[in-house]
Amino acid sequence: MPVLKVPNRTIAAQIPIIESRIPKPDELVVLSKPLLQATIRIGELLKDCSAKWAFAGDLGEILFGVNVEPDHITIITTSAGCDDISKKLTPFLVQAPRITERRVKRSAEINLKPLPINVRSYSSSFNIQGQKLDVHGDLQIKVGDWDWGDSIDFEPEYVYVVGVKVPAAPLELKKELYRGLGWYDRVSKIHAAMARRHHKIV
Amino acid sequence: MDVVCLGVGYMSGVVATELALQGYKVVGITKGPYWDYVNDFSMTKYDEWGVGLGRKYDSPLPLQTTTIRNDSSQFALPVRRYTMPIQYHALGHGVGGAAQHYGGTMGRQGPWGYHMLSSVGKTTLNTINPQDDTYDWPLTYAQYEPYYVEWEKAHGLCGTYNGSPTNSANDQYSDHYPWMSHPYWLPPHPLTPVAQMFQTATQALGYHPFPHVSALASQPYTNQYGVTVNPCVYDGYCGGPCDYACETGAKANAAYRTIPAAMKSNNFTLVTNAYIYRLDYNTTTNQVTAARYYDAQGNIHVQPGTVFFNGMWGYNMIRIMLLSGVGVPYQYNSGAQTGTGTVGRGLTNGYLPPKGTGVTGTLNIGGNSYVAGNGSGGSVDIYDLMDDNFVTPGQNFIGGSQISMGGYLGGGPGNITMAGGVGSGSMGSAFKATQQNKYLPTTVGVGATPFGPDLPTLKNYVDLDPHYTDAYGDPVSRLTYDWTPNTYNAAIGLVQKCKAILQQMGASNITVGSNVNPGAYHNDWWGHHLRGGLRIGNDPSAGTNTAFAALSGYNQLYLAAASGVNYFAAGEITNTTGDTVPSGTHVAGPQSYRAAEGIVKYLKNVAMGGSVNYLAA
Repeated sequence: MPVLKVPNRTIAAQIPIIESRIPKPDELVVLSKPLLQATIRIGELLKDCSAKWAFAGDLGEILFGVNVEPDHITIITTSAGCDDISKKLTPFLVQAPRITERRVKRSAEINLKPLPINVRSYSSSFNIQGQKLDVHGDLQIKVGDWDWGDSIDFEPEYVYVVGVKVPAAPLELKKELYRGLGWYDRVSKIHAAMARRHHKIV
Repeated sequence: MDVVCLGVGYMSGVVATELALQGYKVVGITKGPYWDYVNDFSMTKYDEWGVGLGRKYDSPLPLQTTTIRNDSSQFALPVRRYTMPIQYHALGHGVGGAAQHYGGTMGRQGPWGYHMLSSVGKTTLNTINPQDDTYDWPLTYAQYEPYYVEWEKAHGLCGTYNGSPTNSANDQYSDHYPWMSHPYWLPPHPLTPVAQMFQTATQALGYHPFPHVSALASQPYTNQYGVTVNPCVYDGYCGGPCDYACETGAKANAAYRTIPAAMKSNNFTLVTNAYIYRLDYNTTTNQVTAARYYDAQGNIHVQPGTVFFNGMWGYNMIRIMLLSGVGVPYQYNSGAQTGTGTVGRGLTNGYLPPKGTGVTGTLNIGGNSYVAGNGSGGSVDIYDLMDDNFVTPGQNFIGGSQISMGGYLGGGPGNITMAGGVGSGSMGSAFKATQQNKYLPTTVGVGATPFGPDLPTLKNYVDLDPHYTDAYGDPVSRLTYDWTPNTYNAAIGLVQKCKAILQQMGASNITVGSNVNPGAYHNDWWGHHLRGGLRIGNDPSAGTNTAFAALSGYNQLYLAAASGVNYFAAGEITNTTGDTVPSGTHVAGPQSYRAAEGIVKYLKNVAMGGSVNYLAA
């Protein structure tokens, strides 16, 4: 069949055009491959863990569609859970369980005042497929010179990561935590993800 | 550019992402916009005019329509509207394509569907299907199976494990359902009340029911590309005749499963509102060298590339080849009842059965049903009456039918607004009772409409219309299609079994449609499940490939006159047989992964100066 003549002039066709806004790459929520693979591995290794635990931190949030870019993996659990997890992940252990206390880089903003944040937990560290994993048991938070708060309690929600069912800290919990610390930028990010998830208008 | 994707729907999504994540530069060109489910769907979910009537999610007819006729002796007329009696809808438009608003059905085609010809034999096919043009697929189900797994992983399919190849004692379904080397990636959706009744009834009758396989995420999911997915919230807005998109992104399509990862890689460029009208095809080298497109203002752009992947929807894929002189057009000789050429050959209809068949009834479900998700996510299927699971001596059809029941009652905005109640009075208890029965029903209408696979024939095909053009003056595609006997013979053969199922379910008012006499009805459904017409294959002399010689082991890669491969395609339109499941998309999915694999091999060969026989790798 002969090739049809190729039009080479501009033609103004009267057709409906729907405006299109293409998101920028930094607006798209995509978990990096190394962290994804490490998350799957951890999920498989802790499949039979009876202790209450959940992915938390930035990684826990991105699993629910929050637009953050985690650089490591965090798990929250109880102190007994930390011991249990540490046993199951012994081959990957970097730092054995112990009580740790540290100051968070970012300050709280309470009544327009910056206040230091300290966290205390029974924690251990691991290296899973080249990715850093911190496990925090009975995590407590202290803002400024206030008393230490109660250990963070939670009921995990579940996410399927490439077929592996894993627990993650509920976004509601994180949102309340950030709101208490005055981190409204993080509240906003979570709110946006929840809106996309539940189709509420922000 | 290393790879130019023509269209940015399901298939291009896979190819673009696989290639971009391996560092190749990819551009995707789509004639529609980028759809964002929050800004474009959630905020406009009540836009019934724009969606239901304006069909803004569909390929705009003013830009590009098609002409239709039932046989080659007729003058084909253009489709000017989307609605019945000439139903024409749901061709893709924009990123995600038609899958932005489909039902999410994603069952696999079983092993038998890949080798109908060798299984049934040409003699039988010629008997039951006049002017039969059926061919086996170039690969077996077992060869496609690993690609099914990748496809299902990427899109987070929900379902139950149907048994391994070993068919061990623990495998409940593998005798009646395609075996799987890996379970589905999400659990199935909750069953609706009707689905539960169907499940109980079919089990009592000795069938093997299982939850419908759905591409609507039942749980939060992250796929192998790291793309996070929201689950279905069962609000029903997306339901009805597949008009409405998903406002949480739970409904799988390229825009919310694959393309985000490609865009995040910074190796992918997306061009929207760009209407491809030609491929520059070098007849000396047999290479496609560029794609030409109009932008929204009508300006012409030329996009060169090393490899071209045709992921356009349906017969648009064929049309762009015919417009560009790529391949040998199919030509049907009605007098001799023969055909030559391959591009456009073997158009089939994969979805709606002929009129008049089927069985309906009324079920008391004992409580409220509920508005929920779209499509068939909460339904139950049986495959006992399809493929080669159902063969009786002397039957005049092959393939049988999947029977499914209990899909969610989603229906778009109209399903939840209080606009009903016609004939019920405008106020008072009668109005309230009518509203309750309509929106919170305790009885529901149910039905089953069996139909057999629509087998390819020489007389159903696609070519360019000699009279009608698109908005830019190029010929539109012309579809010549009518139902084939196998569809309605299967319906006639199975409808009594469907009636028995309804009786077992306790339905009342059971009515069986009148039998269809061959030729009594003609196809009036010209929609998104028309398929075939650009088949893959490994037998060029039989015309089962495209114009390009098929490649051993990579038969979806179309080779320009057997010299250099740089043109690839995948989609429902590459279907080899009239497949045996309603979801042609799922059958095409594995091809997109094979195409991506082949493109990588091709590009590596190009990088090495063409010195490597990459097909042998």
